[in-house]
Amino acid sequence: MLPRLPLISSGLRLLASPICPASSAPIIAKCAFSTQPPRAANILGSLHDFKDAYKKLIRRGRGPSSGKGKTSGRGHKGQGQHGGVPAGVNGGQTKDEVVAGPYGFKNQFSVNMSPLNLNRLQQWIEAKRIDPTKPITFKELCESRCLHGIKDGVKLLGKGASTFNIPINITVSRASASAITAVEAAGGTITTRFFNRKGILQTAYPHHFPEQPRLADATSRKDLEYYRNPEHRGYLAGTLKPSDNPESLFFKKPEEAEKARNLKRRGQVKKQKATDRLW
Amino acid sequence: MAARTIISSGSRCLRMGAGLAEELAKLSISPVPRLSRSLATEVSAPSALVRIIPPEPPKPQPKLYTRRPTVLATVYKFPTLEPLAFETYPSTFLQASLRRDILHRAIIYEGDKTRKGRAQTKTRSEIHGSGRKLRPQKGTGRARLGDRSSPMLRGGAKAHGPKARDFSTSLPRKVYDMAFRIAFSYRYRRGDLIVVDELSEHRFPDAWYVKDVLKQNGWGRENKNTMFITMTKNVGLEEALGRLEKEGRALSVEEVDCKNLLEMGRVVIEKKALEYFLEKRWSPEVKV
Repeated sequence: MLPRLPLISSGLRLLASPICPASSAPIIAKCAFSTQPPRAANILGSLHDFKDAYKKLIRRGRGPSSGKGKTSGRGHKGQGQHGGVPAGVNGGQTKDEVVAGPYGFKNQFSVNMSPLNLNRLQQWIEAKRIDPTKPITFKELCESRCLHGIKDGVKLLGKGASTFNIPINITVSRASASAITAVEAAGGTITTRFFNRKGILQTAYPHHFPEQPRLADATSRKDLEYYRNPEHRGYLAGTLKPSDNPESLFFKKPEEAEKARNLKRRGQVKKQKATDRLW
Repeated sequence: MAARTIISSGSRCLRMGAGLAEELAKLSISPVPRLSRSLATEVSAPSALVRIIPPEPPKPQPKLYTRRPTVLATVYKFPTLEPLAFETYPSTFLQASLRRDILHRAIIYEGDKTRKGRAQTKTRSEIHGSGRKLRPQKGTGRARLGDRSSPMLRGGAKAHGPKARDFSTSLPRKVYDMAFRIAFSYRYRRGDLIVVDELSEHRFPDAWYVKDVLKQNGWGRENKNTMFITMTKNVGLEEALGRLEKEGRALSVEEVDCKNLLEMGRVVIEKKALEYFLEKRWSPEVKV
């Protein structure tokens, strides 16, 4: 007598216990679908996608109950029912956008930084797509697809700053204050450096630039002011002298400015200059 | 701080009696002269300026449960069903969670792909006939008419009728692969996946033999039929099952769709064929 199949299948069921729990507590299966038995005899009779995958089909002119019957959402008579009116046209009256006139201007010097949040970086490091023991540059970020291309630079932002706990050594174009705080609290270092277009390409895709010339430095006043500022962890912060204002190339520090103003008020500018003169 | 507590208890005990000092000595905790203030230079944790390189990666979170990495499937001899051996397969291949939405998407994709889409009617421009106006616009007292191909007329065109077209849709390859894994897992979990050693080369001389095998193993109509999956096409089995009235179906691996795995009461699959699907529809990188 050949072994009957039901016994074998039950044996298979015993062997096929799917989950070995770490604890002896029963497992509550997280189920996106109802746990009631299906009505169909075969699973093919009870297959469906999630509710949001289905969109209502609008069939116009198919009866009143559809909501789009008779005039089919076009109203009665006129150009609207018989065809259409171009967008923005006010029946010949001057268009609203013309009446309103031009608004604003385009800042030719605005810079489009590619944002990178700390939560995304942490996700990439935890998934072992980025190695935190090595310096993180544009190359690592682009290769691991943490960034999908870099525009005018990369700015490190602070979403997920409160849970960021991995020491990293990262160099980016800019960084927000909360991102800097979070990176340093985790024991890492962050440096912001100026990158022009060539610099970005050279850093992100070094295999295309075998010669690797020296990276260009900041030249514009705005960039110099940004990268000289120790608050931004700029790479030029080391060039600051004690008397320099870290935030501005032109303006003095507030206290020094006040001193100069006071001297001027008291008419003691020439006197001060005479005492300051070395020879 | 531990040192302080030992000192304080030791001194208190010394005041009480020398017996406890002996006990402490046995524990090799030597009583230290009591200090009224902390030491000026204490060795504390390394300062913030000193960092250990390389830094330690974050500790992995403990999981609530673990799934074992492999599962066992029994390989039987065909047609006697004598168990021959166990074979291990990855749990992501045979123990994947049931995802009805993925199965649905895959089966709809297969159905769309299978559609011939040949239904076609003629439009009024394709109907054979001239553009001659049948009667004057006005004056006849009857409805106005253009040419004979108008949809209103008998022998005219079909307005907005079907046109032969391609109904196929696309589904990401990895989603389709996942659907196969889910289908196999569903079968395996219910005990409806029977792995046999050899099926492609097995001789099926006639339909009577196949009917007998099905009856002996309870694989026929009375038990919702069986899907046989072979590595290469077994013509004898296929034709025999074709001659029998709804007892099962035989397919080779190239012909198998996700729907075929879920259609019948069970799947009797050759070991080589199962390994074909393992290679095609599974990879070690798969996590679900």
